[in-house]
Amino acid sequence: MRETEDGARALEAFLASVERKAFRIAQIALRHEADALDVVQDAMLQLSTRYGSRPTEEWKPLFYRILENRIRDVQRRRSVRNRVMALMPWRGGDEDETADALAQAVDGGPTPGTELESTEMLTALQRALEALPNRQRQAFLLRNFEGLDVAETAAAMRCSEGSVKTHYFRAVQALRGKLGDFRT
Amino acid sequence: MNAGTNQEQTGGSELERCTRALLVESTETLSGTVRSRLTQARHAALGARAARLRYRLQRWAPAGALAAAALALLVVFLPHTRPVPASAAITGSIDDIDLLTSDVPLSTDPEVDYSFYEWAAGAASGPTGAGQAAAASSGPTGS
Repeated sequence: MRETEDGARALEAFLASVERKAFRIAQIALRHEADALDVVQDAMLQLSTRYGSRPTEEWKPLFYRILENRIRDVQRRRSVRNRVMALMPWRGGDEDETADALAQAVDGGPTPGTELESTEMLTALQRALEALPNRQRQAFLLRNFEGLDVAETAAAMRCSEGSVKTHYFRAVQALRGKLGDFRT
Repeated sequence: MNAGTNQEQTGGSELERCTRALLVESTETLSGTVRSRLTQARHAALGARAARLRYRLQRWAPAGALAAAALALLVVFLPHTRPVPASAAITGSIDDIDLLTSDVPLSTDPEVDYSFYEWAAGAASGPTGAGQAAAASSGPTGS
């Protein structure tokens, strides 16, 4: 029983340590705050219920793998929905669709409470990251933002370490091309 | 490409440092609503885990208790249902009782002259009595 309590405490500490970064990663990928919160919640739930008994050092790659899967699910659903809606001559009356269209716009306006996003640099970075191909963005955010090493990133992305290095290198090159001499 | 790649993969370039700092800073300025939702999500996930563990315990506890009870019953009752092998000592003592209570002479050693003991017994119970018995005691000494 004591072991279970310790496990729960460790899991809570882990989730607290990754939740904000996970949210930002999801938000950049999905460009939608509510969807980002949903996928983070799903990832937390799945990690807790299915993989909570795994060794703690496996949690981070597992969590980000789940998160990436959830992000991809949402992107696929959107893609299918957009394709279907494009075939509908009467589209445009749905309130949800309007919200999604706004959310997907690159310049979607300020999201609640994210004051820093109004700054030029963060906006520029966010746009540049959003423009990256999925795999490059994943590799860049997991390595550079979350601080996973190459092996952990490879585990999270389910690819080889060589692929991670390649995606990361290309992401940095692309960001440099877009952002130029980027300094804080 | 190698030098650039190595530098970029170790997170050492200016671009990487700046982007990292900017992104980390952006997580610290998330709105209260988002932070609250994240906390709720975390608690929900932990609650779901606890509920799952409780469910597992409730599901398997009766089966475990039943198995333990069955094992205990086996341990307690299984040895008594088996026939107890008779030990050599018990068997021997029973044999001794048989020997002692039977009419067969205790010894059948061919070296012993049983006729002497028969004669001695006859002499002791006969008319000459004790004299013969005394003579007999200094007489034949067997075989």
